[in-house]
Formats: sequence, C-alpha cells, structure tokens
Amino acid sequence: MTNRAVSRSNQSNAEQFKQSFREEAREIVADLETALLEMSKDSSDPELVSRVFRGLHTIKGSGAMFGFEKLAAFTHNLENAFDQVRGGKLQMSSELIDLTLAALDQIRAMIEEDLSSSTADPAACEAVLVKVQKLCGTQTSVAAPSSAPVEPAAEPTGAGPLRTWHLHFAPGAEMMVSGANPLLLLRELRQLGGLSARASMAAVPPLGDLDPERCYVAWDMVLATASGPDAIRDVFIFVEDSCELIVEPATAEPVLNGTISSEPDAQRRSDARDAGAPPPESGERRATEGRRFTDNASTTASLRIPAAKLDELVDLVGELVTVQARLSEVASNSTDPNVAAVSEEIERLTASLRENSMNIRMLPIRATFEKFRRLVHDLARDLGKQVELTMEGADTELDKTVIDQLGDPLMHLIRNSMDHGIETAQKRIERGKRPTAGIHLSARHAGASVLIGVSDDGGGIDADAVRNRAIEKGLIPADASLTQAETFALLFRPGFSTAKEVTDVSGRGVGMDVVRQRVESLRGSIEVASQPCQGTEVTLRLPLTMAIIDGLLTSVDDAYFVLPLAHVLECVELTRGDVERANGKQLARVRGELVPYIRLRRHFDIRTAPPAVEQIMVAETSGGRFGFVVDQVLGNCQTVIKSLGRFYRSVQAVSGATILGNGAVALILDPERLAQDAVRAEQRNGRGRASVAPGNRPGNSFNFKALGGSGSAGPGSSANV
Amino acid sequence: MGIVVEQREESSAISLAGTVDISAAAELKRALLECLDRGRPVRLSIGSDADLDVTALQLLWAVEREARARQVEFTLDGRLPDSVGAALKDAGFEGFPFLF
Repeated sequence: MTNRAVSRSNQSNAEQFKQSFREEAREIVADLETALLEMSKDSSDPELVSRVFRGLHTIKGSGAMFGFEKLAAFTHNLENAFDQVRGGKLQMSSELIDLTLAALDQIRAMIEEDLSSSTADPAACEAVLVKVQKLCGTQTSVAAPSSAPVEPAAEPTGAGPLRTWHLHFAPGAEMMVSGANPLLLLRELRQLGGLSARASMAAVPPLGDLDPERCYVAWDMVLATASGPDAIRDVFIFVEDSCELIVEPATAEPVLNGTISSEPDAQRRSDARDAGAPPPESGERRATEGRRFTDNASTTASLRIPAAKLDELVDLVGELVTVQARLSEVASNSTDPNVAAVSEEIERLTASLRENSMNIRMLPIRATFEKFRRLVHDLARDLGKQVELTMEGADTELDKTVIDQLGDPLMHLIRNSMDHGIETAQKRIERGKRPTAGIHLSARHAGASVLIGVSDDGGGIDADAVRNRAIEKGLIPADASLTQAETFALLFRPGFSTAKEVTDVSGRGVGMDVVRQRVESLRGSIEVASQPCQGTEVTLRLPLTMAIIDGLLTSVDDAYFVLPLAHVLECVELTRGDVERANGKQLARVRGELVPYIRLRRHFDIRTAPPAVEQIMVAETSGGRFGFVVDQVLGNCQTVIKSLGRFYRSVQAVSGATILGNGAVALILDPERLAQDAVRAEQRNGRGRASVAPGNRPGNSFNFKALGGSGSAGPGSSANV
Repeated sequence: MGIVVEQREESSAISLAGTVDISAAAELKRALLECLDRGRPVRLSIGSDADLDVTALQLLWAVEREARARQVEFTLDGRLPDSVGAALKDAGFEGFPFLF
C-alpha cells in the first residue's frame, strides 16, 4: 500500500470514529435532556445530578478524543458546574437547568458542525458560559469555545506547542506486586497538562476468578500537553516492561476506549498479557498494536452500523423470499424427492433469516417519545401554560422505517394540542380542572398494527366550529350531513384550520395535513375522538413493518390476493344456500355471530361466475369482524411488499403488491381500509354497515388488470386512481 | 488500613477506613465474598480518611456486579467522601455508578 493510500485509509477510519462519536453523543444529549427535564420536576434526586454529570463528562472526554476540541472545552464548563452540584457546593436551580438545556442546543450544533450548515452560535455559547460562571461563583474556565484547551484545569508544561495525545495504559499481571501504583502514575501524568481519563473495567473477571493482587483495569486517556512523547513515556519509565502503553498523537487513529463495560477486545488484551506477550517497545510496534485494537472493536458485543446497510440487507432478504417462492413452485412440480427436500430446507432457512433481519430493524419507540419532553417543556414556557407529559408503552417496538417517519406527525399533533387544545391554568381552574394539563403519549400493539396515541385533557375540539369553517372554505356543502368522525377528518385537509390567529406554534393549517400525508404514506390511518372540555385523543394506527409480512394467499378467478395473516381470524365456506338464506344481505353467521362481508370479485370488478362454494376470510378490523369472500384459499405465504408506485397511491385498500413463485402479481389487501370503503359505500347509500348489499361497488374500486395482474377485468371496469 | 465487617440479622455492614491497598486486597475479597454468600443486603461505608487503591476499586466493582447477578442488595451507606470522590474522578472512574 502506498503512503497516500495509507493516509486515505487513516482519514477514512478517523471519519468513521468521528461518526461513531456523533451517534453516541446524540444519544447522550437526548438522555441529558430527559434527565434535565426530570430534574426540573425533582431537583433533589442525586442520581439525576450524577447522570447529567456523567453524560457531560463523556461528551467532553470522547469529544476531545475524537477531535471535537471546541465541544470538549465548552462542555467542560458545564461539567464543572454539575460537579459542584454533586459536591454540595452549588445549589441545583431552574436557572442552571435552563442554561444547560440551552447549552445542549449548542452542543448539538457542534456535534453536527462537520455534517451540516448548522453551527454553534458563539454569542449564545458565551452567554451560557458567563451565566454558568456567575452561578458557580468562579472566575475561571469561561474560555471562548473555539480556543479553549481540552482540560483547562492544569497548566500544560513544556516549551513546545500544545498538542493532544491519545494514551492507552494497561498494567501487566505483575505490575501491582512490584509496588507500582497506577493511580499515582495518572496523577503524575496530570502534571504534564490537561488529562481526561476513562477507566475500562472490561477485563475484570468474575469475582471468583479475580486475583485480588492484580490490576485488571486499563485506561484510555486524552492528554493536552506541550510536552513531547518522550516526556509522556518517562512517566511510565519504571513500569514500561510490565505494562502495555500506547502513546499516539490525536490526529492518528484513536484507540477505541471503553468505559465500565465488557468488551471482548479488552479481554483479549488482558489474555495477551496473561500469556506473557511482551509489551510493545518500538514506536512502529506501538502503532501496529494501536491499529489491531481498533480493528478488534468490530467484535464487541454490539455494533453500530449505517441504517442503509440494514435496508440493503432487508431488500436482499426480500429478493431471497421471492426466489424461494419460485423454488417452492418448481419443487412442487418436480418428482425428484431431493429437490423437494432442498426446497423445504431453503424455505425454513429463508423464514429464519427473514425473521432475524426484520427483528434487527425493530426499535422501541422510547427515543422518539422522549425527545418530545423538551418540546413540551419549551412550548409550555412560551405559551404560559402548565403541561405535564406522560408516556405509556414506550418500549413498544416497531420497524425503524416507521419510527423514522413518526417524529414529524407527533410533533405537529403535540404542538396543535398545546396551542389549541390545552387551556391556560386560569381557564382550567375556572373549568374545575387541575391547573397543570396533561399530554399523554402511548403506544401498543394491536395485531399487525401499532397504535400510537396522543391525548390531552384540554378543551376538546369544537365540532360545530370545524363544520362551519369547512362550509366557509367550501370543503362541504352547507347542508352536508356528517358523522363526528367525518367532521374531525376535515381537520386533516390541506390548509384547514379553525385557529382565529396564526401563532408561532400552529394555526396555518399545515401541520395536520402533514400528519395525514405521513401516516398515509406509512399505510396507516388516523382516528380522532374528542369531548368538549374533556380533551382530545388522536390515534395513529400504523403497520408494524413495511417490508415483509406473513400473508394468506387467496384467489378470485385467476387473480391473486394476499391478506396479512395477523388480521385473519378464520376461513369459512359460503355456499349458494347461505347466500339465498341471507335474503340479499351480505351477512354470514359465523359461530353464532353475524359477520358482514364483501365479495372481492365484485369489489375488483372481476366479471366471471363464482364457484358454487366460496370462502369467507374473516378478519379483525377496528370496526369489528369483517369477511372478504374469495374463490379459494391457497395457503400461507411470506410476502415481500412492493410499492404500487405513485400512480396508484390513492388506492387505499391495496397496500402493495408482491410477486408470487409462478411470476404472477398478487395484490396485498388492507382489510381495515377495505372494510371502511365498504361501510362508507353503504352509508352513502343510506343503509347500515350490517346490510352490505351485493351490487354496490365501493367508490375506491380498482382495475386489477391495469397492474399487470392476470385478472380478467372486462370492459367498463374502472380504476379509480 | 481498616476493614471492619459487622454481620447483622438483616444485613451485612462493611466499613473501609484508612489505606485500603494491595496489602489488604485478599482480606477485602474474602470479607466481601462472605457477606455476599449470606445472601443478605450488604451495606458498604467508606470513611472520609479512606484511601482506596486500584485493587480495592476493581474489587468493589466486581462485587457489585456479582451482587447484581445474585440479586443481593449492595449499597453504599451515606455519601462518598469528597476526597475519595476526587481521587476516583482523577483516575477516570466517573462511570462507576455504584459509587457515584
């Protein structure tokens, strides 16, 4: 490899480490925000103070280690303040909490500075630091973020320019019994300049195996000093033969550090020491060791990988599922028993692989929920309202793709709720409510869906005002007869707002439209329930996954349809006798209960005669049980969901398509939407849900042939797209 | 050096004072293991004059981990003395949740 290639490789690795730091730092900042907001309710909890201190310390230490010196210097001042709080020298106050929250905004900007155009505001940083200094009653450490050293506590010694070094120090097996004390060495090192040290306990064995006279702790350090590498190594001169020491300039690849955690690479380093591996001696040897440790980081217990790689994996698994379906088709037509055996084995492995890869993408919604604490805190302050945010089901997991899309809709719902729904404390008292309003975020699974709720105990939605506004804007005729649900659905129309004035928070009628668009793009639905003076609850029903589902494959004539298996309760026969006995009503008696149904043949305008015995697939929907009549139920299938594309995006009842093993296209049905379409069509015709009659084609009908399917749509078949 | 163990009916109490270093490490391990083996809550107190070296610190860390695995309560009684806290901070032990 040429020198230039090595240099490029080093730069690439350094960028990777920086990216890892950014990801870690984003999580820490989010946790800090949560802790600070909890602290604003209970400032006496010492664990919260420690949590904030640890978070700030980690950002400072890691930031300096990965070249974010400005960030490290800025954070150092806040860390000092919380250290004083921990030590009882400074009283925790709402002012310090607000200052730290404001500082977090700047820290966020500093973390992202290399990636985006957003930069920290020097004036805001300075203002925060001056106020923190005033609170702490100190005259030190308020340095401009751009020029502050990593650790201003100690004056660096030496004559040269200030440089930052990464150090890794791991005492060998015999070092302690020789009388050396690693803590004294660290203390001595501190004399050379600003030192940020992190102890790694990764190599400490279980208590039973622990040799009490041996040091298992290792240290990763960042040292800002004007002294050269020889002076640094001199600190360890008497123990150099019985320890592992790496000294590298900060611009080189950093050694991955570990806090108090279990890292196998650290264990291996320890094992290597046990095996009597001599410590590195030459500079070249040290550099090699450093890279080796870095490479070994890939074997840690958990990995951070770019989301795009995961998406690529799921795409490939999707392709594999499709090919496996073809293989099963070929095997079913083959007389060779070996082919059938191999096919079954591949099917089993594909199913496991699919399940595993999908599980990797499942994430708890907690992080998305938590970030709204800050929004609620800030908005409550700006609007002069008292609001408490509560959460339920934050550990509910759903597909990363879905989670990524949820932030904006939830933000708009919360802003809307706080601006329009929640009353001022005074008004709440007048209404006999407690002055502090509540916003509740919830998540729970419901079959193949997850329900995300945003509810408040505010003033509720004025249905008459919504209706009048809609008439005013010409969205509905003045004599329109709307159910409450239909009235509330108007809120999600583009540009619709009942707000009398546009505020900084909401009122332009844009937010709710964003919510609708985003939820629909996720193949989800929105339900609104509201009671005057009692509050509003908006529920987003979203699919658990966006990529591959277990489905039930059915056919109508030569067209194929897939129903998500999680929705299907059972399949029952529908004979011509059953149809005649129902007197024209589309109702079937299933286990003593009347279940309304629709015929997919009619819905999709497939104009062939049905068989003598059809099948009803009974599915669970939010409106209760609903049946979908098909010719045949062909069996279970793993279904890779392919988008229908923008051209068909208005077709709500079909959530996608999939390619079957025989190459045919099957439409993936959305039972919820299909049932809603049928009910709406019946309501338009003035009948009840329980009398879905034949001959009524729901408005959102669909031409199967137009998708390239093998259905036999005849002349006049429509595609309402 | 001072390691004082008091076995009570409902818990074990272990107090550390003065210099607790490698010379006391084996004794400290034995004492801590005995307390853990009783299965009762273990309360640790660290005197303001305590000077813990790295062998003592890693031992406490390992005991805390073992206690969690055995579901035995292991807690620090009172506050960590400032001098000890400062020494630990210098040594990069801030991530030591048991003590901080």
